[in-house]
Amino acid sequence: MTLNAPKTLLILFFASASLARGQDPPSEETIAFYEQNCMSCHTIGGGRLTGPDLKGVSERQTREWLVGFILDPKKVIDSGDTYAAEILRESRGALMTKVPGIDRTLAEKLLSFIDAESAKETSRYAGLQVSDRPLTDADIARGRRLFLGKDRFEGGAPACVACHTVNGLGGLGGGRLGPDLTSAYARLEGRNALAAWLSAPPSAVMQPVYRKHPVESEEILALVAFLKNTAESGSSDAPPATLSFLLAGFGGAIALLLVFDFLWRKRYRAVRRPLASGRLALDRQS
Amino acid sequence: MNDFVLLGVLPYIAVVVFLLVTIQRYRMKGFSYSSLSSQFLENQHHFWGSVPFHYGILVVLLGHVIGFLMPTAILSWNAEPVRLLILEVTGIAFAILTLVGLVNIVLRRMTNRLARRVTTWSDLAVYALLLVQVISGIAIAVFEGWGSSWFATSLTPWLWSLIKLSPDVSYVAPLPGIVKVHIVNAFLLIGFFPFTRLVHVLVVPNPYLWRKTQVVIWNWDRSRLRKTT
Repeated sequence: MTLNAPKTLLILFFASASLARGQDPPSEETIAFYEQNCMSCHTIGGGRLTGPDLKGVSERQTREWLVGFILDPKKVIDSGDTYAAEILRESRGALMTKVPGIDRTLAEKLLSFIDAESAKETSRYAGLQVSDRPLTDADIARGRRLFLGKDRFEGGAPACVACHTVNGLGGLGGGRLGPDLTSAYARLEGRNALAAWLSAPPSAVMQPVYRKHPVESEEILALVAFLKNTAESGSSDAPPATLSFLLAGFGGAIALLLVFDFLWRKRYRAVRRPLASGRLALDRQS
Repeated sequence: MNDFVLLGVLPYIAVVVFLLVTIQRYRMKGFSYSSLSSQFLENQHHFWGSVPFHYGILVVLLGHVIGFLMPTAILSWNAEPVRLLILEVTGIAFAILTLVGLVNIVLRRMTNRLARRVTTWSDLAVYALLLVQVISGIAIAVFEGWGSSWFATSLTPWLWSLIKLSPDVSYVAPLPGIVKVHIVNAFLLIGFFPFTRLVHVLVVPNPYLWRKTQVVIWNWDRSRLRKTT
């Protein structure tokens, strides 16, 4: 196949020019970006989750402020902005993460998209895609197995235990890279926010991993059931197992050193040292 | 410093330097490929340095390589909490063994007169890099566990993105500082590798593992020899 270079360039030029304009219907990339990065903490017209409801957000603040906040939430909060401080307080201190890959153009597009969705009677982003059926004991048990990795996530996502622990796991507990999730259910104020969070984990470490391996809605329900149960039964965070782990490591290392000492117990003693000191049997015979 | 420079550019610089200088040194100064062992100068303290260090680092490195080449195998193994614990405790035990060996190696170098005399600046650089590497690795295992699992999910995709020449640092950029220290220092080690005694890793006489034993016997009277000289 031969490519018509000038024609291809022309198409590319117009394609990029149309992407750059904000007022067009939102592109698939913008929607995908919203679903991947915003939906886990915000609704449009469905009430607050971890973060505030975004319906009519442009009426609450200027476009410039909103873009600045989306680009770097922490910077705006640290600047002493009173509105930002209030949002943070309402979110119980859950700081919005700086989204990887965000820039001014994309922030503008996202706001236009949110405005368009706000104008609708009911946005499809008003509610969750996760069922609101009652949680059962079977859900709790499945959630625990999913958390530990005994049951695999359908989408191939890694088990929670790799980075998180909760009270009551036994052994040396779960991983320590991420936060203890014993009180996650309480921190996120319940089922909806937690389920939304799990549908597209927005944390910087989890996002790249779970983007390619999303957790299914039934699995989310099981995890929510497990974490709800943990929050309600376990009083405090799991005690840190770092010391026991380190001691186990030292124990293993000492055992290995003893093995080396035993395996090489004749090291340099049978031949070399007597040889060097002139006490080898062969020498004495002469 | 910029995450992209450290995690998306430095690895390439390190690997290019490694390849070019390794080959150049082999072609120009092939006989300098040596561990420059000082075992003949002192062999008692040496045992408690070299042996634990080498067995430790071999097992720990093997773990990293398996995590890189077979991430799903590691995750399947870790799917049972008891197996995860076995793997992690084995890892930390061999890591501590490595550190014990390394500390002994450094102490011996500093305290033994003969060993100190044959120590070069490149040796000191190797010790500094290795100490940072091993200590940061242990700190990660202890404070940021369970690394065997999250290495497979966060580090492996990033490493493959490097190999595919489209570095995606989003996997590793948000990880804790100590993990980035471990990563960046690893690539510094790779970059410095061909300038140091570490090149002996490439010329390990593996056939010694399975060749027939050779016994060296002096069949002349050594005491008479000594008297006459």
